[in-house]
Amino acid sequence: MSNLHEEKRLLDIAGAGTPERLRTIREEEQNRLKAVLSSSPAVELLRELNQFHERLIVRAIQLAEEEVARRGLGAPPVPYAYLLFGSGGRREQTMSSDQDSGLVYEDPSGEAEAERLRHYFQTLGETVVQFLIRCGYPPCEGNVLASNPEWCLPVSGWGRKLDGWFEEPSWENVRHLLIVADGRAVYGDEALGERWRARFHRDFSGHPVIARRMMENTLRHKALVGVFGQLLTERYGEAAGSLDIKYGAYIPMVNIFRLLAVRAGIRETSTLGRIRALGAAKRLSAKEVKESTEAFTLFLKLRLLAVEKDEQGQWTGTGRFPANRLTKEEKSPLKKALKLARKLQRQLEGEMRYRFGGR
Amino acid sequence: MVKKSLLALGALLLLFPSMAFAADGDGPTNTMLDMGLNALWILVAGVLVLLMQGGFILLETGSTRMKNAGHVAGKTIFTVGLVSLVYWAVGYGFAFGGDAGESVNKWIGLGDFFFHPPIVASDGDSYPSTIFFVFQLAFAAVSLSIAWGGFAERAKLSAYLIFTLIFGSVIYPIIAHWIWGGGWLADDGAQDYAGSTVVHLTGALAAFAATILLKPRIGKFNKDGTANEILGHNQVFTSLAVLLLWVGWFGFNAGSAVSVGDGFFGYVAFTTQLGAAGGAVAALLISWLVKGKADIGVMLNGALAGLVAITASCAFVEPWAAVVIGLVAGVLVFLSQMFFEKIRVDDPIAAMSVHGAAGVWGTLANGLFATKQLVERVGVGKAGLFYGGGGHQLWVQFVSVVVCGAFAFAASFLVLWIIKQVIGLRVTEEQEIIGLDLSEHGNYGYPEMLKKSGTTSL
Repeated sequence: MSNLHEEKRLLDIAGAGTPERLRTIREEEQNRLKAVLSSSPAVELLRELNQFHERLIVRAIQLAEEEVARRGLGAPPVPYAYLLFGSGGRREQTMSSDQDSGLVYEDPSGEAEAERLRHYFQTLGETVVQFLIRCGYPPCEGNVLASNPEWCLPVSGWGRKLDGWFEEPSWENVRHLLIVADGRAVYGDEALGERWRARFHRDFSGHPVIARRMMENTLRHKALVGVFGQLLTERYGEAAGSLDIKYGAYIPMVNIFRLLAVRAGIRETSTLGRIRALGAAKRLSAKEVKESTEAFTLFLKLRLLAVEKDEQGQWTGTGRFPANRLTKEEKSPLKKALKLARKLQRQLEGEMRYRFGGR
Repeated sequence: MVKKSLLALGALLLLFPSMAFAADGDGPTNTMLDMGLNALWILVAGVLVLLMQGGFILLETGSTRMKNAGHVAGKTIFTVGLVSLVYWAVGYGFAFGGDAGESVNKWIGLGDFFFHPPIVASDGDSYPSTIFFVFQLAFAAVSLSIAWGGFAERAKLSAYLIFTLIFGSVIYPIIAHWIWGGGWLADDGAQDYAGSTVVHLTGALAAFAATILLKPRIGKFNKDGTANEILGHNQVFTSLAVLLLWVGWFGFNAGSAVSVGDGFFGYVAFTTQLGAAGGAVAALLISWLVKGKADIGVMLNGALAGLVAITASCAFVEPWAAVVIGLVAGVLVFLSQMFFEKIRVDDPIAAMSVHGAAGVWGTLANGLFATKQLVERVGVGKAGLFYGGGGHQLWVQFVSVVVCGAFAFAASFLVLWIIKQVIGLRVTEEQEIIGLDLSEHGNYGYPEMLKKSGTTSL
């Protein structure tokens, strides 16, 4: 992105007064990015795209604050942080990503205050989510949203919630922990966001066995490569012959490096950042870092390519890539990357079995 | 009273075992005992083969959708009834009738129409002809039920009726005659112990002809040529079906010894078990390796493919070869299923792969694995390639597969083509969507599961 273009975008976003205006800006920018997608380096493009998303989201939150104030609730009564989970948390949003969000605010001083804060931030969360829907970000189907009271809590409430999840690692609770592991503050009080994250990491180091539960929770998504190195593509239906890049390549890698990073106490949430940090912490060899980065970059690229605009002009990502349209030369790095993912999955499984026993 | 006398008799028998045999002179001769044992075994085997229809009912029903369940299951019983009458009236005579002159007999048997057998075996017979008839009839019915795989879920009931008439009276009997009834392929030394070619390949090619003429079921293939998966409605049925068929197959193969004698039929049963086992194991593993998921349907078809393949060779090969034949059949059925899907042939119960591809393989396998000792024992053909027989037997096997296959396909295709032109083969689109239970019979097989008004369920 040229600096000139970037500055204009920044001004556009800063000047946008409604979610609809933000949506228009988003359309223009995504159309532009889509056009240069196949010819530009994926990592660079993804960084640009995510910065762009982030600015839009931040602006939408500011607009929501104004809206809430207009409704007579005033400015935020205490510091808070708006949290992003999922692909937003990992800075890996595509053009069709949905919202996964939460909200953390400073602890109230008494009962009455608690109720007032709860009401304010609940209203703010709902407004932000609604505004972002109007910007074209569909809500999370699992209701992991700042508008959900379960995910919009004061610091102490979050602490109790996290402790509970760690104490009782049921399938559902472990899924929540996996979501939280990718969370970061996108707007608001940074120090508060850091405290929130620190609680997660502190709890994690106190419950090392949670690592195994996390792994078990993610094992069903296997790298889609067979024993003979063949791609395991869809056999039936309209998508026959295509490879499920999202769940058969991208998600397995995300899961592996999330787990490795969290265990090493690394706070970084983007997968490429986690790989780099694992290398710096000597948890991965230089060769592993290089190979993993290459493989993951390829998955990111294919994932971006799998996003299309449907007839209604809605951006949709099936997460599937028509592997049968790839040439032999194009397939070979993909197979290599998938084999690496599979190898890493096996290693991690073996290590967990070694540390915590089989089941 | 009766109980008391039975007890007394039992006690006496224990004390004086020789009392069980009546006084010398008016007891059964050894020949008669031998005949009696043969008769008993062949009838038991014939009943086992008939029981395989239970397997076909569950296999075909389990592999298809609920809305067709009653039709799919019921029509098998109906056609078994119909083919019994037709085979009695005409088919058996063409297959095994001995009245034709030598030149005609090469192609077709004549005599014994409206079969009226002697009520007991006469001197010198190794079994009563009544029992041989029942046994052979059960085979004809199996071949027919295999063919139905190609008709599943879309053929009209009338098409089933007419095809049964022709298949049971002419198509199947001619091939049975060529190989088993003293026809030209029997003279040639073609080895097909229990019918990989005669029964299975013939049925499979009839199914193939049907599926070509009927075209795929609605919704099986998309416009761009990709396939959709139309799952069967009950995998438990399908699994039980395979077990029933597997058990019935002991009648099919071991019964084909048509004698008890020194117990050679036991060896046939033994190789049969090995072949089936190899097929099941290989199919599950290959699907797991290639597709990343162990496919139950493929595994079940693998067991059947192992059985189909070992059917031709069960009396001619050593135990290790039986295992290899089964293993190869299991892999073959997996590849064959993918192949047929690729060329857009809709084969709901994989009849062409299980009975066709594996039938061809089993017949050819004789040309490779038949041992000299076993060939001499059975008295048909020569040893295979790996046992010093050279390529001769392989060639004979190849010819029998090609000729029988071509005949079965051409004859079935012709008959079905005529039916198609005259009355039509396939139900209307609407009937197919409603389901054949309703359109052909007026009631659902699962009335409580499906509402009559629900015409949209696929």
